[in-house]
Amino acid sequence: MRKNNLIYHLINAVIFVILEVTALNMLRHNGTIQGIWISRGSQNVMGFLWGGSQRISDYFSLREKNDALAQENFELRMRLEQLESLIPEETRNIGLSGNISRNYRFIPAEISKISNNSQHNYMIIGKGYEDGVTEGSGVITGKGAVGIIDAVSRKHSYARSFKNHEMNISARLGKEGAVGPLSWDGVSSDGAVLKEIPHHVEFEKGDTVFTSGFSSIFPPDIPLGEVGEAKIVNGATYEIKVRLFEDFGALRYVTVVENMGKEEMKELEGRL
Amino acid sequence: MKTQNFGLIYFLMVLGQMVLCNFADISPLMLLTMLPAMVICVPLTVSTPLCMILAFATGLSVDWLSEGLVGINAAALVPVAMIRKPLIRFSLGEDIITRSDSFSIKKNGIGKISFIILVANLIFLGIYVFLDGAGTRPTWFILSRIGISLACNYILALIVTNILTVDDRK
Repeated sequence: MRKNNLIYHLINAVIFVILEVTALNMLRHNGTIQGIWISRGSQNVMGFLWGGSQRISDYFSLREKNDALAQENFELRMRLEQLESLIPEETRNIGLSGNISRNYRFIPAEISKISNNSQHNYMIIGKGYEDGVTEGSGVITGKGAVGIIDAVSRKHSYARSFKNHEMNISARLGKEGAVGPLSWDGVSSDGAVLKEIPHHVEFEKGDTVFTSGFSSIFPPDIPLGEVGEAKIVNGATYEIKVRLFEDFGALRYVTVVENMGKEEMKELEGRL
Repeated sequence: MKTQNFGLIYFLMVLGQMVLCNFADISPLMLLTMLPAMVICVPLTVSTPLCMILAFATGLSVDWLSEGLVGINAAALVPVAMIRKPLIRFSLGEDIITRSDSFSIKKNGIGKISFIILVANLIFLGIYVFLDGAGTRPTWFILSRIGISLACNYILALIVTNILTVDDRK
Protein backbone atom coordinates (compact mmCIF):
# COMPACT_ATOMS: atom_id res chain seq x y z
CA MET A 1 0.00 0.00 0.00
CA ARG A 2 2.75 2.36 1.04
CA LYS A 3 4.78 1.30 -2.01
CA ASN A 4 1.84 2.03 -4.31
CA ASN A 5 1.43 5.41 -2.65
CA LEU A 6 5.09 6.17 -3.22
CA ILE A 7 4.85 5.20 -6.89
CA TYR A 8 1.73 7.39 -7.25
CA HIS A 9 3.53 10.40 -5.74
CA LEU A 10 6.52 9.70 -7.95
CA ILE A 11 4.35 9.67 -11.07
CA ASN A 12 2.73 12.94 -9.92
CA ALA A 13 6.12 14.52 -9.43
CA VAL A 14 7.44 13.36 -12.81
CA ILE A 15 4.36 14.64 -14.68
CA PHE A 16 4.53 17.92 -12.76
CA VAL A 17 8.18 18.44 -13.67
CA ILE A 18 7.59 17.55 -17.34
CA LEU A 19 4.64 19.94 -17.65
CA GLU A 20 6.40 22.78 -15.81
CA VAL A 21 9.59 22.42 -17.84
CA THR A 22 7.53 22.35 -21.06
CA ALA A 23 5.60 25.47 -20.05
CA LEU A 24 8.74 27.34 -18.99
CA ASN A 25 10.48 26.30 -22.19
CA MET A 26 7.57 27.70 -24.23
CA LEU A 27 7.68 30.88 -22.17
CA ARG A 28 11.44 31.16 -22.74
CA HIS A 29 10.97 31.05 -26.50
CA ASN A 30 8.03 33.48 -26.56
CA GLY A 31 9.05 36.24 -24.16
CA THR A 32 12.38 38.02 -24.73
CA ILE A 33 12.84 39.17 -21.13
CA GLN A 34 11.50 35.88 -19.81
CA GLY A 35 13.86 34.01 -22.14
CA ILE A 36 16.94 35.80 -20.80
CA TRP A 37 15.71 35.51 -17.23
CA ILE A 38 14.87 31.79 -17.42
CA SER A 39 18.14 31.01 -19.23
CA ARG A 40 20.08 32.81 -16.52
CA GLY A 41 18.09 30.98 -13.83
CA SER A 42 18.63 27.58 -15.44
CA GLN A 43 22.35 28.29 -15.76
CA ASN A 44 22.50 29.09 -12.05
CA VAL A 45 20.61 25.91 -11.21
CA MET A 46 22.91 23.83 -13.43
CA GLY A 47 25.95 25.47 -11.87
CA PHE A 48 24.67 24.68 -8.40
CA LEU A 49 23.83 21.07 -9.30
CA TRP A 50 27.15 20.37 -11.02
CA GLY A 51 29.05 22.12 -8.25
CA GLY A 52 27.11 20.11 -5.66
CA SER A 53 27.75 16.80 -7.40
CA GLN A 54 31.44 17.67 -7.65
CA ARG A 55 31.52 18.39 -3.90
CA ILE A 56 29.82 15.04 -3.18
CA SER A 57 32.26 13.25 -5.48
CA ASP A 58 35.17 14.99 -3.71
CA TYR A 59 33.82 13.87 -0.34
CA PHE A 60 33.69 10.22 -1.38
CA SER A 61 37.21 10.32 -2.76
CA LEU A 62 38.62 11.70 0.52
CA ARG A 63 39.96 8.31 1.55
CA GLU A 64 42.09 8.03 -1.60
CA LYS A 65 43.27 11.59 -1.12
CA ASN A 66 44.18 10.88 2.51
CA ASP A 67 46.19 7.82 1.45
CA ALA A 68 47.98 9.87 -1.17
CA LEU A 69 48.70 12.66 1.34
CA ALA A 70 50.03 10.16 3.89
CA GLN A 71 52.35 8.71 1.25
CA GLU A 72 53.44 12.18 0.18
CA ASN A 73 54.04 13.13 3.82
CA PHE A 74 56.21 10.09 4.26
CA GLU A 75 58.21 10.81 1.12
CA LEU A 76 58.73 14.42 2.19
CA ARG A 77 59.91 13.31 5.61
CA MET A 78 62.41 10.91 4.05
CA ARG A 79 63.58 13.65 1.71
CA LEU A 80 63.97 15.97 4.69
CA GLU A 81 66.10 13.36 6.41
CA GLN A 82 68.35 13.09 3.36
CA LEU A 83 68.71 16.84 3.00
CA GLU A 84 69.35 17.27 6.72
CA SER A 85 72.37 15.07 6.49
CA LEU A 86 73.86 17.58 4.04
CA ILE A 87 73.45 20.54 6.43
CA PRO A 88 76.24 21.25 8.96
CA GLU A 89 75.38 20.21 12.54
CA GLU A 90 75.57 23.77 13.97
CA THR A 91 72.98 25.19 11.56
CA ARG A 92 70.60 22.27 11.84
CA ASN A 93 68.77 23.21 15.05
CA ILE A 94 66.48 25.75 13.40
CA GLY A 95 62.81 24.95 13.61
CA LEU A 96 61.09 21.79 14.72
CA SER A 97 61.83 19.62 11.74
CA GLY A 98 65.52 20.41 12.02
CA ASN A 99 65.65 18.80 15.45
CA ILE A 100 64.63 15.35 14.28
CA SER A 101 67.74 13.27 14.14
CA ARG A 102 68.82 11.64 10.93
CA ASN A 103 69.25 8.40 12.92
CA TYR A 104 65.56 7.65 12.68
CA ARG A 105 63.71 5.76 9.98
CA PHE A 106 60.06 6.51 9.32
CA ILE A 107 57.40 4.17 7.97
CA PRO A 108 53.92 5.58 7.20
CA ALA A 109 51.07 3.33 8.29
CA GLU A 110 47.33 3.19 8.65
CA ILE A 111 45.64 1.99 11.82
CA SER A 112 43.58 -1.16 11.18
CA LYS A 113 42.06 -1.36 14.66
CA ILE A 114 42.25 0.77 17.77
CA SER A 115 40.91 0.46 21.29
CA ASN A 116 40.25 3.63 23.24
CA ASN A 117 37.83 2.77 25.98
CA SER A 118 39.72 0.43 28.27
CA GLN A 119 42.56 0.97 30.73
CA HIS A 120 44.94 -1.04 28.53
CA ASN A 121 44.42 0.34 25.06
CA TYR A 122 46.18 -0.86 21.95
CA MET A 123 46.24 -0.39 18.20
CA ILE A 124 46.82 -2.73 15.27
CA ILE A 125 48.82 -1.11 12.50
CA GLY A 126 48.64 -2.19 8.88
CA LYS A 127 52.41 -2.59 8.43
CA GLY A 128 54.51 -5.58 9.53
CA TYR A 129 58.06 -6.90 9.32
CA GLU A 130 57.73 -7.15 5.55
CA ASP A 131 57.55 -3.34 5.58
CA GLY A 132 60.49 -3.00 7.94
CA VAL A 133 58.62 -2.52 11.23
CA THR A 134 60.50 -3.88 14.27
CA GLU A 135 59.49 -4.46 17.87
CA GLY A 136 60.24 -1.58 20.19
CA SER A 137 59.73 1.08 17.51
CA GLY A 138 57.72 4.17 18.36
CA VAL A 139 54.42 5.22 16.82
CA ILE A 140 54.05 8.95 16.26
CA THR A 141 51.91 11.53 14.50
CA GLY A 142 52.43 15.22 13.90
CA LYS A 143 50.63 15.85 17.16
CA GLY A 144 52.37 13.45 19.49
CA ALA A 145 53.77 10.06 20.39
CA VAL A 146 50.89 7.63 20.40
CA GLY A 147 52.34 4.19 21.11
CA ILE A 148 55.12 1.62 21.06
CA ILE A 149 55.26 -1.49 18.86
CA ASP A 150 55.08 -4.63 21.01
CA ALA A 151 54.66 -7.39 18.45
CA VAL A 152 55.11 -7.65 14.70
CA SER A 153 53.66 -10.11 12.21
CA ARG A 154 54.17 -10.27 8.43
CA LYS A 155 51.72 -7.52 7.55
CA HIS A 156 50.55 -6.11 10.89
CA SER A 157 51.95 -4.78 14.11
CA TYR A 158 50.50 -4.62 17.59
CA ALA A 159 51.24 -1.39 19.42
CA ARG A 160 50.59 -0.47 23.02
CA SER A 161 48.72 2.82 22.98
CA PHE A 162 49.88 5.82 24.99
CA LYS A 163 46.49 5.52 26.69
CA ASN A 164 47.79 2.66 28.77
CA HIS A 165 48.71 2.65 32.44
CA GLU A 166 51.94 0.78 31.81
CA MET A 167 53.31 3.35 29.41
CA ASN A 168 55.49 6.39 30.07
CA ILE A 169 57.11 8.76 27.63
CA SER A 170 60.10 10.84 28.53
CA ALA A 171 58.85 14.41 28.10
CA ARG A 172 60.34 17.86 28.42
CA LEU A 173 58.72 21.09 29.54
CA GLY A 174 59.31 23.44 26.64
CA LYS A 175 62.30 22.79 24.40
CA GLU A 176 64.92 23.31 27.05
CA GLY A 177 63.05 22.68 30.29
CA ALA A 178 62.97 19.94 32.87
CA VAL A 179 62.38 16.32 31.88
CA GLY A 180 59.98 13.86 33.47
CA PRO A 181 57.84 10.84 32.65
CA LEU A 182 54.53 11.60 30.94
CA SER A 183 51.71 9.08 31.31
CA TRP A 184 48.03 8.91 30.54
CA ASP A 185 45.78 10.16 33.38
CA GLY A 186 43.53 7.12 32.92
CA VAL A 187 40.38 9.23 32.87
CA SER A 188 39.99 11.55 29.90
CA SER A 189 40.83 10.91 26.25
CA ASP A 190 43.15 13.91 26.02
CA GLY A 191 44.52 14.05 29.54
CA ALA A 192 48.04 13.12 30.70
CA VAL A 193 50.20 13.74 33.75
CA LEU A 194 53.80 14.89 33.73
CA LYS A 195 55.57 13.84 36.93
CA GLU A 196 58.88 14.36 38.71
CA ILE A 197 59.36 17.96 37.62
CA PRO A 198 61.61 19.61 40.20
CA HIS A 199 60.05 22.16 42.51
CA HIS A 200 62.30 25.02 41.43
CA VAL A 201 61.43 24.75 37.71
CA GLU A 202 59.42 27.66 36.39
CA PHE A 203 56.67 27.09 33.85
CA GLU A 204 53.34 28.53 32.90
CA LYS A 205 49.95 27.23 31.96
CA GLY A 206 49.83 26.75 28.19
CA ASP A 207 53.52 25.86 27.82
CA THR A 208 54.13 23.08 25.32
CA VAL A 209 55.42 19.68 26.35
CA PHE A 210 57.74 17.89 23.89
CA THR A 211 59.38 14.48 23.71
CA SER A 212 62.75 14.74 25.39
CA GLY A 213 64.65 12.41 23.10
CA PHE A 214 66.07 10.70 26.21
CA SER A 215 64.92 7.31 25.06
CA SER A 216 65.83 4.97 22.29
CA ILE A 217 62.27 5.04 20.96
CA PHE A 218 61.01 8.55 20.15
CA PRO A 219 62.87 11.38 18.43
CA PRO A 220 63.17 14.61 20.40
CA ASP A 221 60.96 17.69 20.09
CA ILE A 222 57.71 16.10 19.00
CA PRO A 223 54.97 18.30 20.52
CA LEU A 224 52.80 16.24 22.87
CA GLY A 225 50.46 18.64 24.63
CA GLU A 226 50.13 21.79 26.70
CA VAL A 227 50.56 22.42 30.40
CA GLY A 228 47.43 22.72 32.54
CA GLU A 229 46.97 22.68 36.31
CA ALA A 230 49.93 21.71 38.50
CA LYS A 231 50.31 20.56 42.10
CA ILE A 232 53.26 19.81 44.35
CA VAL A 233 53.50 16.20 45.51
CA ASN A 234 55.60 14.98 48.44
CA GLY A 235 56.73 18.58 48.89
CA ALA A 236 59.44 18.10 46.29
CA THR A 237 58.17 17.73 42.75
CA TYR A 238 55.40 19.00 40.55
CA GLU A 239 52.72 16.80 39.10
CA ILE A 240 51.45 18.67 36.03
CA LYS A 241 48.27 18.00 34.09
CA VAL A 242 48.87 18.01 30.34
CA ARG A 243 46.22 18.34 27.66
CA LEU A 244 47.33 16.17 24.74
CA PHE A 245 47.26 17.58 21.20
CA GLU A 246 46.42 14.24 19.64
CA ASP A 247 42.77 13.24 19.40
CA PHE A 248 42.92 9.47 19.82
CA GLY A 249 39.30 9.15 18.74
CA ALA A 250 40.11 10.49 15.26
CA LEU A 251 43.45 8.73 14.89
CA ARG A 252 43.87 6.97 11.55
CA TYR A 253 47.29 7.60 10.02
CA VAL A 254 50.48 7.20 12.01
CA THR A 255 54.21 6.96 11.39
CA VAL A 256 56.29 4.15 12.81
CA VAL A 257 59.65 5.51 13.86
CA GLU A 258 62.69 3.34 14.40
CA ASN A 259 65.87 4.52 16.04
CA MET A 260 68.67 3.22 13.81
CA GLY A 261 71.17 3.45 16.70
CA LYS A 262 68.96 1.55 19.12
CA GLU A 263 70.96 -1.70 19.01
CA GLU A 264 74.22 0.13 19.50
CA MET A 265 72.81 1.94 22.54
CA LYS A 266 71.55 -1.35 24.00
CA GLU A 267 74.89 -2.96 23.44
CA LEU A 268 76.61 -0.09 25.19
CA GLU A 269 74.20 -0.34 28.13
CA GLY A 270 74.79 -4.08 28.28
CA ARG A 271 78.52 -3.61 28.73
CA LEU A 272 78.00 -1.81 32.03
CA MET B 1 -20.75 18.61 -8.55
CA LYS B 2 -22.64 18.91 -11.79
CA THR B 3 -20.46 16.26 -13.37
CA GLN B 4 -22.73 15.93 -16.40
CA ASN B 5 -22.45 19.58 -17.32
CA PHE B 6 -19.03 20.15 -15.90
CA GLY B 7 -17.16 19.69 -19.20
CA LEU B 8 -19.37 22.11 -21.07
CA ILE B 9 -19.35 24.75 -18.33
CA TYR B 10 -15.59 24.36 -17.96
CA PHE B 11 -15.13 24.89 -21.72
CA LEU B 12 -17.36 27.96 -21.66
CA MET B 13 -15.37 29.33 -18.76
CA VAL B 14 -12.12 28.86 -20.69
CA LEU B 15 -13.69 30.99 -23.45
CA GLY B 16 -14.78 33.48 -20.80
CA GLN B 17 -11.22 33.65 -19.50
CA MET B 18 -9.97 34.42 -23.02
CA VAL B 19 -12.44 37.30 -23.19
CA LEU B 20 -11.29 38.52 -19.77
CA CYS B 21 -7.67 38.41 -20.86
CA ASN B 22 -8.32 40.32 -24.08
CA PHE B 23 -10.79 42.91 -22.90
CA ALA B 24 -10.65 43.29 -19.12
CA ASP B 25 -7.32 45.11 -19.06
CA ILE B 26 -8.23 47.49 -16.25
CA SER B 27 -4.88 48.13 -14.59
CA PRO B 28 -1.34 46.69 -14.67
CA LEU B 29 -1.85 46.00 -10.98
CA MET B 30 -4.97 43.92 -11.57
CA LEU B 31 -4.96 40.49 -13.13
CA LEU B 32 -8.38 38.89 -13.46
CA THR B 33 -8.45 35.13 -13.73
CA MET B 34 -10.92 32.32 -13.14
CA LEU B 35 -8.44 29.55 -13.92
CA PRO B 36 -7.34 28.55 -10.38
CA ALA B 37 -10.94 28.26 -9.17
CA MET B 38 -11.84 26.24 -12.27
CA VAL B 39 -9.02 23.77 -11.64
CA ILE B 40 -9.95 23.47 -7.97
CA CYS B 41 -13.53 22.61 -8.99
CA VAL B 42 -12.47 19.71 -11.25
CA PRO B 43 -14.31 16.65 -9.82
CA LEU B 44 -12.30 14.67 -7.27
CA THR B 45 -12.79 11.51 -9.32
CA VAL B 46 -10.21 12.98 -11.70
CA SER B 47 -6.71 11.96 -10.61
CA THR B 48 -3.97 14.49 -9.94
CA PRO B 49 -1.85 13.58 -13.04
CA LEU B 50 -4.92 13.92 -15.27
CA CYS B 51 -5.89 17.18 -13.56
CA MET B 52 -2.36 18.53 -14.14
CA ILE B 53 -2.59 17.67 -17.83
CA LEU B 54 -6.03 19.33 -17.99
CA ALA B 55 -4.64 22.43 -16.24
CA PHE B 56 -1.69 22.52 -18.64
CA ALA B 57 -3.99 22.26 -21.66
CA THR B 58 -6.32 24.93 -20.26
CA GLY B 59 -3.47 27.31 -19.51
CA LEU B 60 -1.93 26.75 -22.92
CA SER B 61 -5.25 27.35 -24.71
CA VAL B 62 -5.70 30.67 -22.91
CA ASP B 63 -2.08 31.59 -23.64
CA TRP B 64 -2.33 30.81 -27.33
CA LEU B 65 -5.68 32.36 -28.01
CA SER B 66 -5.43 35.49 -25.93
CA GLU B 67 -2.08 36.56 -24.52
CA GLY B 68 1.33 37.03 -26.03
CA LEU B 69 3.31 34.94 -23.57
CA VAL B 70 2.74 31.31 -24.43
CA GLY B 71 3.31 29.09 -21.40
CA ILE B 72 2.78 31.60 -18.60
CA ASN B 73 -0.75 30.51 -17.64
CA ALA B 74 0.18 26.85 -18.08
CA ALA B 75 3.24 27.23 -15.84
CA ALA B 76 1.17 28.94 -13.14
CA LEU B 77 -1.82 26.60 -13.34
CA VAL B 78 -0.09 23.18 -13.17
CA PRO B 79 1.09 23.73 -9.54
CA VAL B 80 -2.52 24.56 -8.58
CA ALA B 81 -3.61 21.20 -10.02
CA MET B 82 -0.74 19.53 -8.18
CA ILE B 83 -1.80 20.82 -4.76
CA ARG B 84 -5.57 20.56 -5.42
CA LYS B 85 -6.16 17.31 -3.52
CA PRO B 86 -3.75 18.00 -0.62
CA LEU B 87 -5.37 21.44 -0.20
CA ILE B 88 -8.91 20.05 -0.17
CA ARG B 89 -7.80 17.26 2.20
CA PHE B 90 -6.27 19.84 4.53
CA SER B 91 -9.32 22.08 4.52
CA LEU B 92 -12.24 19.66 4.21
CA GLY B 93 -10.80 16.44 5.65
CA GLU B 94 -9.66 13.03 4.39
CA ASP B 95 -13.18 11.62 3.88
CA ILE B 96 -14.02 13.82 0.93
CA ILE B 97 -10.89 12.61 -0.92
CA THR B 98 -11.42 8.94 -0.02
CA ARG B 99 -15.02 8.99 -1.20
CA SER B 100 -14.26 11.37 -4.11
CA ASP B 101 -17.21 13.34 -2.80
CA SER B 102 -18.42 16.69 -4.07
CA PHE B 103 -18.00 19.95 -2.21
CA SER B 104 -19.74 23.29 -2.40
CA ILE B 105 -20.02 26.58 -0.55
CA LYS B 106 -23.41 25.61 0.88
CA LYS B 107 -22.31 22.14 1.95
CA ASN B 108 -18.90 22.92 3.42
CA GLY B 109 -19.21 26.56 4.42
CA ILE B 110 -17.82 29.70 2.85
CA GLY B 111 -14.87 29.79 5.27
CA LYS B 112 -13.31 26.49 4.20
CA ILE B 113 -14.00 27.02 0.51
CA SER B 114 -12.63 30.57 0.74
CA PHE B 115 -9.42 29.20 2.25
CA ILE B 116 -9.03 26.75 -0.66
CA ILE B 117 -9.65 29.29 -3.40
CA LEU B 118 -7.47 31.93 -1.72
CA VAL B 119 -4.51 29.56 -1.43
CA ALA B 120 -5.01 28.33 -5.01
CA ASN B 121 -5.20 31.93 -6.31
CA LEU B 122 -2.19 32.96 -4.26
CA ILE B 123 -0.09 30.18 -5.78
CA PHE B 124 -1.29 30.96 -9.29
CA LEU B 125 -0.81 34.73 -8.94
CA GLY B 126 2.55 34.33 -7.22
CA ILE B 127 3.95 32.29 -10.10
CA TYR B 128 2.23 34.32 -12.84
CA VAL B 129 3.33 37.73 -11.54
CA PHE B 130 6.84 36.44 -10.81
CA LEU B 131 7.25 35.03 -14.35
CA ASP B 132 5.59 38.07 -15.94
CA GLY B 133 7.95 40.46 -14.14
CA ALA B 134 10.99 38.28 -14.97
CA GLY B 135 13.11 40.05 -12.40
CA THR B 136 12.48 43.50 -13.92
CA ARG B 137 9.74 44.67 -11.52
CA PRO B 138 10.32 46.05 -8.02
CA THR B 139 9.12 44.03 -5.05
CA TRP B 140 6.46 46.57 -4.08
CA PHE B 141 4.90 46.26 -7.55
CA ILE B 142 4.89 42.47 -7.43
CA LEU B 143 3.34 42.39 -3.95
CA SER B 144 0.76 45.08 -4.82
CA ARG B 145 -0.20 43.26 -7.99
CA ILE B 146 -0.60 39.96 -6.14
CA GLY B 147 -2.59 41.62 -3.33
CA ILE B 148 -5.00 43.59 -5.53
CA SER B 149 -5.48 40.68 -7.96
CA LEU B 150 -6.10 38.28 -5.08
CA ALA B 151 -8.82 40.52 -3.65
CA CYS B 152 -10.59 40.85 -7.04
CA ASN B 153 -10.16 37.21 -7.99
CA TYR B 154 -11.57 36.05 -4.66
CA ILE B 155 -15.00 37.40 -5.61
CA LEU B 156 -14.68 35.96 -9.11
CA ALA B 157 -13.55 32.59 -7.74
CA LEU B 158 -16.54 32.40 -5.37
CA ILE B 159 -18.86 32.87 -8.35
CA VAL B 160 -16.97 30.27 -10.43
CA THR B 161 -17.03 27.79 -7.54
CA ASN B 162 -20.72 28.36 -7.06
CA ILE B 163 -21.39 27.64 -10.73
CA LEU B 164 -19.10 24.62 -11.08
CA THR B 165 -20.06 22.90 -7.82
CA VAL B 166 -23.48 21.88 -6.53
CA ASP B 167 -24.89 21.10 -3.11
CA ASP B 168 -25.99 17.48 -3.59
CA ARG B 169 -27.56 17.20 -0.12
CA LYS B 170 -30.93 18.30 -1.39
